[in-house]
Amino acid sequence: MKTTEFTLDLQAYVDGELDTSRRAEVERVLASDAEARALVAGLRQIAELVRTHEPVIQVPETREFYWSQIQRRIAQAEAAEAKEAPQASGAMQWLRWLAPALGVAAVAVMVALPRGEKEGATLASNDTIEDAVSMTFRSDADGVTIHWIN
Amino acid sequence: MPMSLKSDYPSAADEQLVAWAKDGDTAAFEELIHRHRDKIYARAMIMMRNEGDAIDLSQEAWVKSWQRLHQFQGESSFATWMTRIVINLCLDQIRRQKRTRAESIEELEEAGGVERHMPIAESNPTEGLESEEVRRRIDEAMGKLTDAHRTVLVMHEFEGLEYKEIAKRVGISIGTVMSRLFYARRRLASLLQSLKRERSE
Repeated sequence: MKTTEFTLDLQAYVDGELDTSRRAEVERVLASDAEARALVAGLRQIAELVRTHEPVIQVPETREFYWSQIQRRIAQAEAAEAKEAPQASGAMQWLRWLAPALGVAAVAVMVALPRGEKEGATLASNDTIEDAVSMTFRSDADGVTIHWIN
Repeated sequence: MPMSLKSDYPSAADEQLVAWAKDGDTAAFEELIHRHRDKIYARAMIMMRNEGDAIDLSQEAWVKSWQRLHQFQGESSFATWMTRIVINLCLDQIRRQKRTRAESIEELEEAGGVERHMPIAESNPTEGLESEEVRRRIDEAMGKLTDAHRTVLVMHEFEGLEYKEIAKRVGISIGTVMSRLFYARRRLASLLQSLKRERSE
């Protein structure tokens, strides 16, 4: 017999998984190798046998009972989903308060950060408006708008 | 769940029942279950070899299909779509159960090249048997395979999946798929021969 690799190639040949060139190569070997042909025949036989004799197994429960169990599980899944939804809203409530706080923190950071040569400067009369940096934070939830002009 | 909308379910095609079920018609969905429940349960039973798991996973598959019905666009038949769902659930369950002991034995067997020395069926091991008896023997023999071997065999022979698709879904290489499939077939052939000998004695 051939190597494991070739044995698996024979199986791939049976399953129609080889490309054209490899298929031709396998067929060349098959023409002169009786053992390989026997293996191919055996693989075909067992594959066909299994494919055409899939075990038939019936649900050991009545139609009504089986369906009632599925209905119950669907209802449970839907209830769990509905329960999760308000929790998600709860998380959004936190965000409602957290968002303005984060905004204020961001402004504070901007104020605290060193600003190079403009450190400590104000928008004096000799500064042009193009030099100014502005930020706006708006919280619809709190009805607050903060403008920061640097 | 919304209430039923129509009444001619037994004569309706699967596609029609799916369309009705997508609109929330639970009676149409129940008809689909009735038509395909044995096949879906059988897949779970063949994979899991345990009635409790098979009932649980087949029902879970129906719950999932109800939830994902809008995703079914009819690229395959409804039955095929359903069997894919139940097989995925079985794969997840097998992974969870981590049947490592059996897997390691199987790897040893493969590494030792046992499969190459096992006799392939010299004659048809089910010759002269009634179809029902053949099915029963195949089921019995499949029960003696490891989860890993049986999974690949089911996906290839019953689902008709190609090597690369099996590899993708199970999370193994194509080489491992080929090796497991080969081993499973040889082992199955050997088991069927043994059954034939046992019954004839």
